[in-house]
Amino acid sequence: MSGPQPRPITILIAALGGEGGGVLTDWIVAAASQLGFPVQSTSIPGVAQRTGATTYYIELVPAPARELSGRPVLALAPGVADVDIVLASELMEAGRAVAGGFVTPDRTLMIASTARSYLVVEKMAMSDGRYDSARLIAAIRQQAQAHVLIDMAALAKTSGAMVNAVMLGTLAGCGRLPIPAAAFEAAIRADGKAVESNLAGFRAGLAAAQQGGAGSAHAVGDGRDRVEPRSPSEFEREIATMPVPARDVVRIGVRRLVAYQDAAYARLYLHRLTSIRAADEHCGAGGRLLRETARHLAVRMSYEDVIRVAQVKIDPVRRARIAAELGVSPGEPFTVTEFLKPGLEEMCSLLPPALATRILAAGTRRGLTDRLHWGMQLNSASVSGFLRLRALAALRRWRPKSYRFREEQRAIEGWLALIVEAARISAELALEVAECARLIKGYGDTLKRGTANYALIEARIIRPVLARRISLPSGVDAIASARTAALADPEGEALTRCLAELEQHSALPVAAE
Amino acid sequence: MERSFKKEVQALKLGAGETFRGEGILAVTKALLQSGVSYVGGYQGAPVSHLLDVLVDAEEIIGDLGVHLETCTNEASAAAMLGASINYPLRGAVTWKSIVGTNVAADALSNLASPGVLGGVLIILGEDYGEGASVIQERSYAYAMKSSMWLLDPRPDLPTIVRMVEEGFELSEASHAPVMMELRIRACHVTGEFEAKANRRADFSGNNRIAGPPRFEYGRLAHPPVIFSQERLKLAERLPAARRFIRERKLNEMIASDLRDVGIIVLGGLVNGVLRALARLELADLYGASRIPIYVLNAAYPLVPEEVRAFCAGKRAVLVVEEGSPDYVEQAVNVELRRADLQTRVLGKGALPHAGEYTSEALLQGLAAFLRETRPSGIDTEGIAARADAMLARKSPALAVVGDIPARPPNFCTGCPERPVFSAIKLMQRELGPTHISADIGCHSFATFAPFSLGNSILGYGMSLASAAAVGPAMDRRPIAVMGDGGFWHNGLVTGVASSLFNKGDGVLIIMQNGYASATGQQYLPSSAANRTGAPTGMTIEQTLRSLGVKWLRTVRSYSVAKMSRTLKQAMRSDERGLKVIIADGECQLARQRRVRVEEATKLERGERVVRVRFGVDDEICSGDHSCIRLSGCPSLTLKPNPDPLRTDPVATVIESCVGCGLCGEVAHAAVLCPSFYRAEIIRNPTRWDRTLHRARQTIIGWFGGRGAEAPA
Repeated sequence: MSGPQPRPITILIAALGGEGGGVLTDWIVAAASQLGFPVQSTSIPGVAQRTGATTYYIELVPAPARELSGRPVLALAPGVADVDIVLASELMEAGRAVAGGFVTPDRTLMIASTARSYLVVEKMAMSDGRYDSARLIAAIRQQAQAHVLIDMAALAKTSGAMVNAVMLGTLAGCGRLPIPAAAFEAAIRADGKAVESNLAGFRAGLAAAQQGGAGSAHAVGDGRDRVEPRSPSEFEREIATMPVPARDVVRIGVRRLVAYQDAAYARLYLHRLTSIRAADEHCGAGGRLLRETARHLAVRMSYEDVIRVAQVKIDPVRRARIAAELGVSPGEPFTVTEFLKPGLEEMCSLLPPALATRILAAGTRRGLTDRLHWGMQLNSASVSGFLRLRALAALRRWRPKSYRFREEQRAIEGWLALIVEAARISAELALEVAECARLIKGYGDTLKRGTANYALIEARIIRPVLARRISLPSGVDAIASARTAALADPEGEALTRCLAELEQHSALPVAAE
Repeated sequence: MERSFKKEVQALKLGAGETFRGEGILAVTKALLQSGVSYVGGYQGAPVSHLLDVLVDAEEIIGDLGVHLETCTNEASAAAMLGASINYPLRGAVTWKSIVGTNVAADALSNLASPGVLGGVLIILGEDYGEGASVIQERSYAYAMKSSMWLLDPRPDLPTIVRMVEEGFELSEASHAPVMMELRIRACHVTGEFEAKANRRADFSGNNRIAGPPRFEYGRLAHPPVIFSQERLKLAERLPAARRFIRERKLNEMIASDLRDVGIIVLGGLVNGVLRALARLELADLYGASRIPIYVLNAAYPLVPEEVRAFCAGKRAVLVVEEGSPDYVEQAVNVELRRADLQTRVLGKGALPHAGEYTSEALLQGLAAFLRETRPSGIDTEGIAARADAMLARKSPALAVVGDIPARPPNFCTGCPERPVFSAIKLMQRELGPTHISADIGCHSFATFAPFSLGNSILGYGMSLASAAAVGPAMDRRPIAVMGDGGFWHNGLVTGVASSLFNKGDGVLIIMQNGYASATGQQYLPSSAANRTGAPTGMTIEQTLRSLGVKWLRTVRSYSVAKMSRTLKQAMRSDERGLKVIIADGECQLARQRRVRVEEATKLERGERVVRVRFGVDDEICSGDHSCIRLSGCPSLTLKPNPDPLRTDPVATVIESCVGCGLCGEVAHAAVLCPSFYRAEIIRNPTRWDRTLHRARQTIIGWFGGRGAEAPA
């Protein structure tokens, strides 16, 4: 064994299939060998190239081959605590490298994108299944010797490049490699594909990395709800009297309901909140109960129906937003086709209660309720399409006389009553009851499922707790866990299991009474 | 094909003394041409798909050399092609993914190995083992042993790989046996350089045909009675000849060093990992010199007894490093030592894991265990082992802070024509209840992952229908077999369809007709629109099925979810017994996009009218329930924070990568989801009429829309 020798620089690239990690690797290898550094790369694409997690591994000897006394033997796989640079195109893949033991405080520079490409399991959750990005970032901060965190997706978008070019730029900008930016640019040029956009992406990444990741521009917002919404002055006085924590929510609620129905409806909203406000003071929730209830109440009172959908679809603001998202240049023609498929129930929800109940009863008898649908695809950018939607939206005035409206108000009153009753026992309980409203959302099956789950939780937990058949602390937990279970799977298996377990536990106190 | 190798192909023309730079698998291709092959072929599959893809792109180059190229319909036909070398002095090479490909080829291989070969035969195996593998984890080694074929496992380093290809042909000819060369995933993709030689014309090929009629030699048949003498030949002549060749040509390497009392016996393909682990423990250097002697087996089978004995003699203990089980090499070494009555202790499995890839972690652990156990004199064993422990100890705290990161399995690409079919199956199952789904190999096997989680068994490529044969009779509902057009032509046609018809089976078969072997990189198939030369293949799945006698046959555009689930329901409910086949027709979107993007770009440049379609979601209408995602899983359909300050659940959104395949709309419609999806069509380079119409609409809508009902906050 001969004397002192340079240690290979080890680079692990974590990317998703289809992001061009292979090309990125080739650029790095080309640049290194141009300068005469011994370099070796390998990868494990396989089927992972189909949007799965994939890695590329590079080893580079930071001394020209001619100055070495032999041919280096380089490894084909990264080693735990043996990686100098981890370059990740996505935050969770960066986290995966950390979990693999490839990011260690003694040597690893972590260059990672803060952008998330959600896993299917995160996306398919019925509420919010997203992995905690903060935890990933904290882990990187704690494990890496140094780190550069940049929203590479945003940079790629703004520079019109693929993310791999941005990644190359960040690598060049981190200054850990004996390779000048010019050499990387040369590699991009030599490659000869999409040279201009790749160079743009490269430079964006380079600049961002040189500023140590200052360029963490996050996904560009669509310009809505950034300004504190004003509500008609006639309501302002009353809102001003509310506990501070609740005001902004109530203000948004009022504005929403005026738009959804009319001022009278907004007044009803405020009126309903008075009892909650009292309850809040009584149980000493410090405005939290009022705030949360006000939030859910506004959503529930502006329930989704055909009319509201039509309102949204013909909103000029929406049209402008779509144009912006598509990058439509002024005067450039574009059409927007809407997919509507109201069913028997949606239709009946607009009719007067007496008529609706009869039709629905008949429908259920004949088993039509789930099968009868009117599918329509209409172009809201065409005159006829627009007018049809507008006609639907105009039904807004009729809404208060409709069947669905009556049913919703009834359900809302019941829920509010429960909250008030719960508040007599404890603020926590009342808050849990209020929070259950989030189960009720959407259209068709989603709405049915949510409403049914809410009913289950009310009957099997909330009522028993109010009747003191379940002890308060376990009751509060039970409601929370049942709510989570209700959102675990569409088939409702988790909820069934949860309720069964609960009844086993609460069996004892019941017997004791 | 997914990737064009037109650039890389130029490297195949390199002459003597020039430097080849590129991937391992391309180096193999160059080495084949330097060895004067007469014919090449194989069946695509990671990690060796590129080998065939390159040959296809290089067809005119290898054509000049008179090399015959065959893109075989499966590994069995590739292996059978090697029969050309039994009677004639033709060098031939084929490639496929192992273990699965070798399994398919096994019959032909046995019948090739028994008579033996005159011309050199080399089989390049993509050993799909460890991280990134997509098949069951088994070793190809067993095939070498049972059929008396030789197995090369070169150092993952281009000069060695190239040398092994060249010497492999000579080994095959010197011992009249087929030779296999296994390359693991990372070795196939490793980059490096080697000094090229000029390509060699084969003695006999398309350019220079064999003169005279073929000789009749009974001894070259795999048929009684000669099979008995062939068995003896294998052991009495070919095996010794092979060992002689391996020893004389020094295919295996001995890394001598200062420590004498212990040693490491390692398969060539794993030596870089071992050397790096040793280097981290300061027992090896950058150039592969080691303080512990290493015996590198570039020839994994057969072992050379003289070499094994010479290496082990005088050593207290050796560590055998071979991935996977059974521990064939460890066993063989033990036997040799017994025969030689050497007392050297043999460690292997136990110090190293019995199963799984030998990652740097596994090797560090194994070496530490070996050193602790054997305490070689002249080094601070404890200190070194402790250093290894310290390195490995870094992992657990990292795991603790980052938590359990969920896996990110591969998924259908954006716009994939196969995804809608599984949406349809889900919708059908909602009505008819769950059905047994026998899955297959191909992109469609991604349906076994979320959000579909569909599939009860995978029995191999093109085996789905056959693997449902005994399920149907035992169940109330008909089983559904899913098969790709790749699997259909690989062997599903005979193993599945013919067998089912012949046995009057009653089930449903869905064939994904996307026009290519897509998972492996869109190679052409018998039913592709054109073959590799661009000429129409003249074969269609529909004709084939009809001619076999399939009565119940429907072809449905795969994106029509509603129609597909209707057709599925018919197939499931129909009183008519017998096989019911649904061809789900839709071109692989990767291939389509590659074509369409170029077409549209040129159109745009020429100022011609182009309509760009993209889907979107109205976040105010989206309820944040994500049932659309549970029915699709499209990469372009994802989440964003809820812009509504009153709601917390993230809403669905469609990102730029959307190719406008229309699935979200179809699903929202067929499953009666929320009305939040819309399809936007932008007209680039609009005609005068487009503009006028647009302006007119704008104005009229403006009259009403200007003060149209406001939207909720």
